[in-house]
Amino acid sequence: MSKLHLRKTPGDLHPPLNSPAYRSTALRHPKQALIAVPQAATELSAPRFDETIYYPHHDDLTKQCTGEPLGERIIVTGRVLDENGDAIPNTLLELWQCNSAGRYHHEVDDHAAPLDPNFKGGGRVLTNARGEYSFTTIKPGAYPWRNHENAWRPAHLHFSVFGTSMLQRLITQMYFPGDPLLGYDPIFNTVPTERARERLISKFDLSVTKPEWALGYRFDIVLRGSEATPAN
Amino acid sequence: MTPTPGLSASQTIGPFFRYGLAWDNGEHAFPKDAPGEHIELTGILTDGAGTLIGDAMIEFWQADAEGRFGGPNKGSCPGFARCYTNTEGRYTLHTVKPGAVAGPGGGPQAPHILVCLFSRGMLAQVYTRVYLEADAQDAVLKAAGPRADTLVARETAKSKYEWDIVMQGGRETVFLDF
Repeated sequence: MSKLHLRKTPGDLHPPLNSPAYRSTALRHPKQALIAVPQAATELSAPRFDETIYYPHHDDLTKQCTGEPLGERIIVTGRVLDENGDAIPNTLLELWQCNSAGRYHHEVDDHAAPLDPNFKGGGRVLTNARGEYSFTTIKPGAYPWRNHENAWRPAHLHFSVFGTSMLQRLITQMYFPGDPLLGYDPIFNTVPTERARERLISKFDLSVTKPEWALGYRFDIVLRGSEATPAN
Repeated sequence: MTPTPGLSASQTIGPFFRYGLAWDNGEHAFPKDAPGEHIELTGILTDGAGTLIGDAMIEFWQADAEGRFGGPNKGSCPGFARCYTNTEGRYTLHTVKPGAVAGPGGGPQAPHILVCLFSRGMLAQVYTRVYLEADAQDAVLKAAGPRADTLVARETAKSKYEWDIVMQGGRETVFLDF
């Protein structure tokens, strides 16, 4: 059996851990260089889950409470792939977001916008055999934060995904096309390249849109892929 | 050559993840009846000003006492734990002492736990390993050189270990690039 390891991530893919425009990074990034070490079995494996992790309406955030949440109902669907183009089946995706008014169901969020008693904002789903997933939810609102004067986060969904190696583990954010706040958002703009930023913006898709029901967006997530371990 | 899709970039977990990433018994990596020595690993997470970080998520992944990696089991996966730091910046992991796992190329490795740390103010996770005992032959500890002791937990009582994570400063924890 040929040994596989994960290809190194290009240095210009992820935002630098020290990104002064996002002020909170200043005291929370390692100052010393990371130490390069080989990938071993612990890193090349990952926890695997099955449907016993599901709770009621785990993939439909509009049905988790007694009534329906306020807001624009949306369907978000896509695939989880690796960079070789291979689907990653049966991997856990977690989603969380604020409500349509821009407020999180979280005790520390003190934004002066209403909580929605019918919206909690968390979901989880395993990808199918083709690496596909789908969530039904409502479109989150924009909200202010205190990074700088008049700072607003563009509407976004938070995604967490595992993959088959802990080195594929990814937490990211999905944005919406045409959002005027994208150009002003330090967090989105810490992603160094325009191509990589564009990949974090979902695409409106009429074929995902359900008539008389919900707008559809497509969002693929691409994780590190493996290659044969060089002889030396 | 077929075109390959571009990689997805990381974004911060932010401060408000607890509802979406809630995990039943997340601080327990194994069921109570799992074989092996059950241990507690606890510590605090501090930033570059020495301030406690109370809004981080720390994931742990390890082999079981026999050196095997687990699969799906009743709402989780043995060997996986998810801890949130509390307002005192403290996490507490309940786990089992990991068994030996061969290193790349089949060489020996000291028993270790992989650590994946996320928090507000971090635009991507950082990785490290925690060891329950020092071992001069372990490749990662060797690579860490004079800072290797930042990766080794202190045994404070029988089956109780303490390991702090320091983001910056003289005792900055070694973070790893895989």
